[in-house]
Amino acid sequence: MHDQPIERLATTRSRRLPAAGLASTAVIVLATIAAVPLLETYQIRVINDVLIYALLASALNIVIGYAGLLDLGFVAFFAIGAYSYALLDSPFFGVHLPFIAALALGAAFGAGAGILLGIPVLRLRGDYLAIVTLGFGEIIRILLNNVDALTNGPKGIMRLYTPELFGWTLSTPQDFYFLLLGLVAIVFTLVYRLEKSVLGLAWAAIREDQDAARGIGINTTFAKLCAFSTSASIGGLAGVIFAAYQRFVSPESFTFDVSLLIALIVVAGGIGNLVGVLVGAIILVVLPEALRGYDQYRMLIYGIVLVLIIMARPRGIVPRRYGIEWALRMLGWK
Amino acid sequence: MSFAFDNVSKNFGAVVAIREVSLTFEPGRIYSIIGPNGAGKSTLINMAAGSYSVTSGDILLDGRRLTALKKYQISRAGIARTYQNIRLFDHMTALENLEVCLYREQIGHVVAEILLPARSRALKADRTARSMEALRRFGLEAYGEQPATSLPYGSQKLLEIARAIMTQPKVLMLDEPAAGLNMSETAELREKLVAMRSDGLIMIVIEHDMNLVMSISDHIYVLHQGRTLAEGSAADIQSNKDVQEAYLGSAGELDEIKRSVVGRQNRVRIRLDAGVVRHRSRGVSR
Repeated sequence: MHDQPIERLATTRSRRLPAAGLASTAVIVLATIAAVPLLETYQIRVINDVLIYALLASALNIVIGYAGLLDLGFVAFFAIGAYSYALLDSPFFGVHLPFIAALALGAAFGAGAGILLGIPVLRLRGDYLAIVTLGFGEIIRILLNNVDALTNGPKGIMRLYTPELFGWTLSTPQDFYFLLLGLVAIVFTLVYRLEKSVLGLAWAAIREDQDAARGIGINTTFAKLCAFSTSASIGGLAGVIFAAYQRFVSPESFTFDVSLLIALIVVAGGIGNLVGVLVGAIILVVLPEALRGYDQYRMLIYGIVLVLIIMARPRGIVPRRYGIEWALRMLGWK
Repeated sequence: MSFAFDNVSKNFGAVVAIREVSLTFEPGRIYSIIGPNGAGKSTLINMAAGSYSVTSGDILLDGRRLTALKKYQISRAGIARTYQNIRLFDHMTALENLEVCLYREQIGHVVAEILLPARSRALKADRTARSMEALRRFGLEAYGEQPATSLPYGSQKLLEIARAIMTQPKVLMLDEPAAGLNMSETAELREKLVAMRSDGLIMIVIEHDMNLVMSISDHIYVLHQGRTLAEGSAADIQSNKDVQEAYLGSAGELDEIKRSVVGRQNRVRIRLDAGVVRHRSRGVSR
């Protein structure tokens, strides 16, 4: 045990660091956040997309990363949230609900749909679950396309009202940037706390060995329904914001590609890791925009980069063990 | 408290694994179930834990029919088990493997745990303290932060027992706890098992290590071909003629074993020949 004093020295020194480390990182982070509204509108729109996908991916991460259930139809909950806003805040039915109520209802409808989907399919695992959820995503899209009386079919619903939150009218991309940023902070905190809760432990146990988890008294059906409904409610919330932001919804926005992109962000970013989800959302959303100069080669390059990422880092760009605690430590916090 | 198998039978298709077995258990005692391979020992545990359904009969805990319950309800009723092949939550730490057992107690507070930092800290502290205590009890405290799969084999076996105990069971069933352990690990296991004997707990051990069985058991059930062949104290069982025969096999049985081995060799040869024929015929069809 010769090197123990040195080790102790190192820890005391790193304990003295936080003040400086914290201050400098706080300044950098705040400066970045404050600088964004000064960017061009197009760039802010891309950043808003990153934030929306970060929300969606953090939600899907609960199902895929924590509970270990592959859901390929996540866009359904996003669509349900978006259409909730479209129906509750547009001239289509002439309803005009406060934005906060629409947010709550969108989340609630999402959660309800998550439970409705969950009850019949949670006996399935792995590939079978993936296929059924994929089908669910398609069913919702096809319904939106065909139930004209309720959704106006492929034409979509236009002229959604401008949302207002506690006297703050959200009309520009800048406004939505701040709203999304706040929501990402709240949702990430809640998801992180979920992961560390006893329910998060139960999800991990189910992911490892479902049968043994039942053997220690975990009601696996209930725990999985919790995963499905919480993630679906966040999906619904993101949908409400998306609709309010676009002020237009149509079934075209909710194709299988969206489900796939969300799942890819989780898997390529870092499965079960919120830091990975954020990094994944940034890379996978910004990359195709950054490649716009390459015209017809754009998607080819995007595809190749994705394959290379997965080959080089099969556990994701930021693997599970480099989680939030690790990031905070690196920033001189904790 | 009482725990009993009441006239239980189990068929797998046409194979009868358990035939009308009735066993009773009393708290504060260590029971062993022994018998040759295929006697149906693990099947009994699997039925009690809800992994297998029973074909007929009942398994009763304090008069409650476990056969009517789901697996997690059986655990909550007070049945805990370990597995013949270790089934820990491999990539969770040793500590988390135990903490998760408090799910049943704490899940009701999960909303508070997520929304209220103070409640969250209190619940987490409670989980950690109780799990650390259990780790210490099994001499595993040094492994707390390590993934379960990285522990030495013997420690994994102990951790699995610790996990079972964390659910605060009335009945603890251990499926071959000493299998794969060396002599010193087995000695440590024996010490822990004897220390776990308490007034409130029924312990049922399935084991092939006869030294261990004979030294810890208060009562032994011998299973043979799905039936109870004998029961009694260690001394009763050791001197029982039927048991000796079941274990060593009579001369007639030995002959039968030899015949089956020769038969299997022949079958292998036949299958090889068939493979060649199939291979050739495929060649022709091309």
